[in-house]
Amino acid sequence: MRASLEIKNLNVMIGDKQIIKDFSLTIPKSEVHAIMGPNGTGKSTLAKALAGHPDYEITSGDALIDGESIINLEVDERSRAGLFLAFQYPMEIPGVSIANFIRAARNARLPEGEDLDAPAYYKELYEKMDRLKIDRKFTSRSINEGFSGGEKKRCEILQLAMLNPKYAILDETDSGLDIDALKIVSEGVNALRGPELGALVITHYQRLLDYIVPDKVHVMYDGRIVKSGDKSLALELESKGYDWIKEIAENAA
Amino acid sequence: MEAEAGFDESIRYAFQNHMDSLNTVPKWWREFKTNAFDSYANMPMPRRNDENWRFANRNNLSLGKFQFDRDTVSPNVSSLVEKSRFTGTQAGGFVIADNKIVQANRAPKELTDQGVIWSPLSEAIVEHSDLLRDYFMKQGIDLGSEKFAHIHSAFVTNGVLLYIPKGIEVEAPFCSYNWSTSENGSMFPHTLVIAEANAKASVVEAQLSEGEQSVFSCGVTHLFAGVGSELNYTLIQNLNENTLGFQINSNIAGKDSTVSMNSIILGCGHYRSETHGQIKGSGAHVDMRSMALANAAQEIDQRTLQTHSAPHTTSNLLFKNALKENSKSIFSGLIKVDEVAQQTDAYQTNRNLLLSNTAEANSLPGLEIEANDVKCSHGATTSEIQEEEIFYMLARGIPKDTAEELILYGFFEEILENIVDEKLSDCTRQLIRKKFGS
Amino acid sequence: MTTATHNIEIDRDKGDFKYAETHKFDAGVGLNEGTVDYISDVKGEDDWIRDFRKRALKVFQDKPMPTHWATKDLENIDFNKIRYYLAGDQRAKKSWDDVPDEVKETFERLGIPENERKFLAGVEAQFDSEAAYSNIKEAVAKDGVIFMGSTDGLMEHPEIFKKWFGKVIPTADNKYAALNSAVFSGGSFIYVPPGVKVSHPLQAYFRINAENFGQFERTLIIADEGSEVTYMEGCTAPKFDTATLHSAVVELVAMPGAKIEYITVQNWSSNVFNLVTKRAIAHEGSVVKWIDCNIGSRLTMKYPGVILKGRKARGEVLSIALANDDQHQDTGAKMIHAADDTTSNVISKSISVGKGRSTYRGQVRIPKHLKGCKNNTECDALLINSDSRTDTYPAITVRGDQNYVQHEASVSKVSAEQIFYMQQRGLSEADAMSLSVNGFVNDLTRQFPMEYSVELKRLIELEMEGSVG
Repeated sequence: MRASLEIKNLNVMIGDKQIIKDFSLTIPKSEVHAIMGPNGTGKSTLAKALAGHPDYEITSGDALIDGESIINLEVDERSRAGLFLAFQYPMEIPGVSIANFIRAARNARLPEGEDLDAPAYYKELYEKMDRLKIDRKFTSRSINEGFSGGEKKRCEILQLAMLNPKYAILDETDSGLDIDALKIVSEGVNALRGPELGALVITHYQRLLDYIVPDKVHVMYDGRIVKSGDKSLALELESKGYDWIKEIAENAA
Repeated sequence: MEAEAGFDESIRYAFQNHMDSLNTVPKWWREFKTNAFDSYANMPMPRRNDENWRFANRNNLSLGKFQFDRDTVSPNVSSLVEKSRFTGTQAGGFVIADNKIVQANRAPKELTDQGVIWSPLSEAIVEHSDLLRDYFMKQGIDLGSEKFAHIHSAFVTNGVLLYIPKGIEVEAPFCSYNWSTSENGSMFPHTLVIAEANAKASVVEAQLSEGEQSVFSCGVTHLFAGVGSELNYTLIQNLNENTLGFQINSNIAGKDSTVSMNSIILGCGHYRSETHGQIKGSGAHVDMRSMALANAAQEIDQRTLQTHSAPHTTSNLLFKNALKENSKSIFSGLIKVDEVAQQTDAYQTNRNLLLSNTAEANSLPGLEIEANDVKCSHGATTSEIQEEEIFYMLARGIPKDTAEELILYGFFEEILENIVDEKLSDCTRQLIRKKFGS
Repeated sequence: MTTATHNIEIDRDKGDFKYAETHKFDAGVGLNEGTVDYISDVKGEDDWIRDFRKRALKVFQDKPMPTHWATKDLENIDFNKIRYYLAGDQRAKKSWDDVPDEVKETFERLGIPENERKFLAGVEAQFDSEAAYSNIKEAVAKDGVIFMGSTDGLMEHPEIFKKWFGKVIPTADNKYAALNSAVFSGGSFIYVPPGVKVSHPLQAYFRINAENFGQFERTLIIADEGSEVTYMEGCTAPKFDTATLHSAVVELVAMPGAKIEYITVQNWSSNVFNLVTKRAIAHEGSVVKWIDCNIGSRLTMKYPGVILKGRKARGEVLSIALANDDQHQDTGAKMIHAADDTTSNVISKSISVGKGRSTYRGQVRIPKHLKGCKNNTECDALLINSDSRTDTYPAITVRGDQNYVQHEASVSKVSAEQIFYMQQRGLSEADAMSLSVNGFVNDLTRQFPMEYSVELKRLIELEMEGSVG
């Protein structure tokens, strides 16, 4: 069996409202899939539920990383199992510097009693920051505090690069970015593409997919995938608009 | 009163006279007053160790020289009425001199037909006895002036009652003008406002002196804001500087209500004000604002409490004092957030501007927080007008006095901008100007 | 009780062990004139000290408990059940080899001799009522620096001691200062001659070993003109079932141009009432900085102060308090401006965990006829659990000319979304929590000496364990 992030018949509730409905999707390692869809259709819910946010209840179905179910794991265990979520709205954590934060996350991945090689860590951190055009001065700044929208998203990609997950979910990483920031962020993601990473890119707009070209595109509506295709689907969607999807979804129902 | 044995006798006698003068009042009212007087008599004066009186001068709280049973009416009624026009419009207004109604502007018929009650307290005791029985002095006194609240209850004869039924909105303000006119007299202004669900109203109260006589003024304002209601109360206190003044304010904010209490404080030799915002319903918002301009040897002593006892509530307090000459201010504020009051936002700010080397500002901004999901902060600053600011204006040819006055208006603007009625806003500015120039 | 090893980790339970009591001197249980006489007799004190003690005892007995503003928990101290003086010996040893074995072992377990070798200019180690060990590095002593236990200081340098003793904190300042003045024993005495800069810290370590005991050390530090000194104190006690009392008085005198930095890491066990009076007088151009970390004790009441007596003097209080279940950290600062152009700065950060309660009380006074004084106060409180509590009660009085005072306080929490974010990066919930809490105090701990900020960070991590969920 090929290594993959596999989502099987997933149902997710927030309170007493069902958001994700019998959702299934398999993202083989090395591939980048995109999920597009109108606002309020459950894209971000899917991301947070997979990451294990306590407000989102998985009522049935499963999610597996390389064949191992993760849905009974704690949030941090899922992360260490290889799942990374780039947040749509990254949190500000006063007083905790980027360098210390990523270091703590890296340390959490080491066997007990083992400590990070600090000089090697800083060397790697600086290289990756340079690539993402993040000023080195940022290492001592509190994570996301007072960052612009673009800086926050670049900081998310930096963490992605530093934590080497097996699968990454990018939740609306393009929102709030101008075209230059979008290019930098996309280049950062593209640099990580390869046989060791599978990615799910969640977006509302086709624009991002000009820069992060997906292997497959899925259109989501009302908690489920209603249409899948290759990258041309994104262009078709852009020209026909989301009303077209509504029609497809309603006809199917 | 320990040191005033003779006074105990005379005030008891005065209270008896006061009770004898009440004619057709309900029995409960007599009992209420008798109990209040007993509580007053049994309660000690504020003591040195009372935290609620920290920094306060307790030496001039003596009531010995004031008379409580005098029955006089100002000789100059028409002049008082003439001067009791602070607002552009009014939905109703009473002019009260030495506790007697001297002019009554009743509420228009379309409002009374809808159930609005706008009544002098002296009438309401008889005509709306049940309503008063449920609401009169029912908000608790807990900021240190309990004894003075009791003497208020014992001797109060007048004031205003405003009752707004469900869903009724009144734009124009209801006004209450309270004048002191007689030497060594006493006055007990009372304002009681009850807003039912989704009602809306505003009240303007003025406390004023005719002449320079020495007077004891002890007022109480209670606001009850029902579900979704909106109340706005503005007090303008410009009593003369021979007055010993107390003002005890409280409001209860019900679910989703909005309450705004504003005070413009200019007068009294020694002024003690207490304001308690009781935020009891979720979604409620309470604003408490005050500005004081003090000079000579005035003491402005303000104590506040913001109590949050329901989730999703907000309160915002801003008290600003500008102090000239030998004046002194005390701001003591506390935000209390109960364990159940999660998602509370509560803010408290006290700013003091010292306009002389001998003025004194005391600030005691406090927090007691028992819920963890809250945003609470307080800030207090005390400073003088910066020399550079004055220099800048002088360099533009503005005389020093004018420069200071401009800065002072700038300082108070945050408070004054909340006064909606244009005429009231003008009147207030004139009063400030007059006082600043004095 | 932890097992005995010589390499125990720094933690809250680190001090939770005790040895059998072998006290040669014991003033017995309860407090009266006889207790005071016993202490004076044992110490062989001059009459002026004996009289001073007796006057203080009277003040202590007459003064009411300050429960009109402070917590009622004070009423749970039974002064009749406490032992006021316990000592093995009167004079501190200058070599660890001469210190009795159990006492030496106690301090070794707490890492004191090791620290002395590593980075300290001098160490004093107090065991119950008296210093068991006191030594200063020769190089420092050669400059004329005096560092010894107060008991020794009083005998060997009465001329300096008497001049300053009780002058910063009068006996009647408060009930607990009076108590200390009646039965004080131990503490440090430091004199730094003009112009001498002591480059490494002097450290005192206070250890309570006996149950039902009260420790009443008295510390007096005089930094003469243009001198500089850093003093650090640590403290531990075993966890007894009964209440233990610690009531110290600490007086600092910074002569013109001097600098004193006084660092406390208070880690008493959770049965200790810690009621301490600390104050400094800062003369012209001098700087006094209190760094005060309160992690332990059942109730701490402590408001380090600076009387800014000389022009351009500066006072600072940087404090961190962590209150866990059954703890009340009632701390703060007093800044009394008494000369022109004096400045003061207070930064207080408190963390309340579980049912813990932290309280800030502050006093800032700028009286009339002073010019150009400035105070800045910032109090930030972090609440971890829904039943945690925080209070802030500052009092600010300002008069005079071109003075500026600002006070700000805020209350915040660690949000569930922040924890989720950090967990998504692979941190456990507890690690995420302690990272946030350390982040909260970070800008303050950065100003601490390295050794202490590391210790503090670990103490916080340990306290945060099990605080979530």
